[in-house]
Amino acid sequence: MIDVRGLTFTYSGTTAPALQAIELKIPEGQLCAVVGANGAGKSTLCFALSGFIPHFFHGEMHGEVSAAGRSVAGTPLADLAGEIGLVFQNPFSQISGARYTVREEIAFGLENLGVPRAEMPGRIGEAVELTGLSGLEERSPYALSGGQQQRLAIASMIVMRPRILVLDEPTSQLDPAGSKEVFAALRALAAGRNTTVVLVEHKLEWVAAFADRVVVLAGGRLIADGPPAQVLAAADLEQHGVGRTRYTLAARQAQARRLRPPSADLPVTLDQAREFFR
Amino acid sequence: MTATLFAARPSAVHALNPLTKLTLAIGAVVAAAALETLPAVLAVYLLVLVPLAARAQVLPIFLRTCARVVWPFALSLFPIQGFFAEGTNVLFTLGPFSLKAEGLWIAAFLTARLLVGLGAATLLMLTTRPDHLMQSLVQRGLPGQLAYIVVTALQIIPGFQARAQAILDSQRSRGLETEGGLLRRVRALAPLVSPLLLGSLMDLEERAIALEARAFTRQGTKTSLTELQDGRGEPAARALLIALMLGVVALRFV
Repeated sequence: MIDVRGLTFTYSGTTAPALQAIELKIPEGQLCAVVGANGAGKSTLCFALSGFIPHFFHGEMHGEVSAAGRSVAGTPLADLAGEIGLVFQNPFSQISGARYTVREEIAFGLENLGVPRAEMPGRIGEAVELTGLSGLEERSPYALSGGQQQRLAIASMIVMRPRILVLDEPTSQLDPAGSKEVFAALRALAAGRNTTVVLVEHKLEWVAAFADRVVVLAGGRLIADGPPAQVLAAADLEQHGVGRTRYTLAARQAQARRLRPPSADLPVTLDQAREFFR
Repeated sequence: MTATLFAARPSAVHALNPLTKLTLAIGAVVAAAALETLPAVLAVYLLVLVPLAARAQVLPIFLRTCARVVWPFALSLFPIQGFFAEGTNVLFTLGPFSLKAEGLWIAAFLTARLLVGLGAATLLMLTTRPDHLMQSLVQRGLPGQLAYIVVTALQIIPGFQARAQAILDSQRSRGLETEGGLLRRVRALAPLVSPLLLGSLMDLEERAIALEARAFTRQGTKTSLTELQDGRGEPAARALLIALMLGVVALRFV
């Protein structure tokens, strides 16, 4: 469970707040996608949810963030680590650099948490399978492709079994097939383990297909919040720098050419598009 | 892809506890420093280090590494010591300089000591993964953060080399001249340094976040996926090596 109440944050050395008056409650087991244009405050929200704001990035903070039953500001980062996981875009800098194989790299977090050795192989195997890294366990993390390194970063977090997983554009280096696998793994994590997943993502087709909920940020403010079908089909989305799924775009073209009634709900997923054009 | 010398082999030397190999390496260096005759120092190299390298199935790379590092030193030591060290046995005279046998002996002795030190370190690096060595030292009380710095420095270097090459290639593709005289090469460094430095600083911040997210700074007991065990007799072997080391040092000062 994540509970954000009136969060406003301004980075040190800047005057404009990166986040303004954010109110957000995300229940356990929900996969919540965060979308928005560049500079909308998505990464800042990720840092605030995972405790790096205010512990790592300093600035003026108002409001309260609690996650996994703890006040984020009142809990040391080291104590949040096992509870809240953070994965970000650049996979190279997420590799610890201290381990020589993929298997050992995934184990790094478990070792720091003091997980008994006997428990590690099972958890590592599970994370490897979930992220499609099977067969690469004995390779050097530096010998992997960018996409494989990104999956490794996700596996390294999943293995720690955090109650909340925050991911900032985790599929930026993945091809469509790889992206789908990661989304499916996150979906399984939310549904199967009741993990709360917060996902910043630009690939709206996948967001529409896999997320339970979509939050839209613009200029540091939360401007829309709801189910994907409702939020991603909203008329004013483009004004805030957020694109459309190709299904929505095709449906709008059909409505503009009077091939479909203007009152029909716009589709955001392939299944909805199939119904729309039937 | 690492900057380490480690060569994985299914050998008994590789299987030894890193602490045993470290004790052996330190022992060899101390012995070379304490022994006072050239044959005794060479014996440490030829009768201890070379057979161990052969047993570890790394003899060719061991000898190659030693030779590559030692010859530039030897090349400077022999003429400098030969011509400028004190001595009476003049082998031949070249203008105002005389080549003396005593000087050549000193050069040979210093080269042999260097060979032992280098050989001991090379054997340790060829047969021991740095992270395993650090893990064994952490188990003996070395701060985890210090061990992390040592291991990551070795692992990350190739990654930064690749990044520097990518920046250089992209600058070249935009017409930057990187070949030619010294001045041109120095000028070519400027557009490389800034993106490399800034990129590295950004990486550093992200790496710190990633480490925090993986509980690196958490206090309390840490565990390890790999178990570094002592083979039969290894603690006794380490004790014997330390005793031998102390014995050689004691003999030196008696």
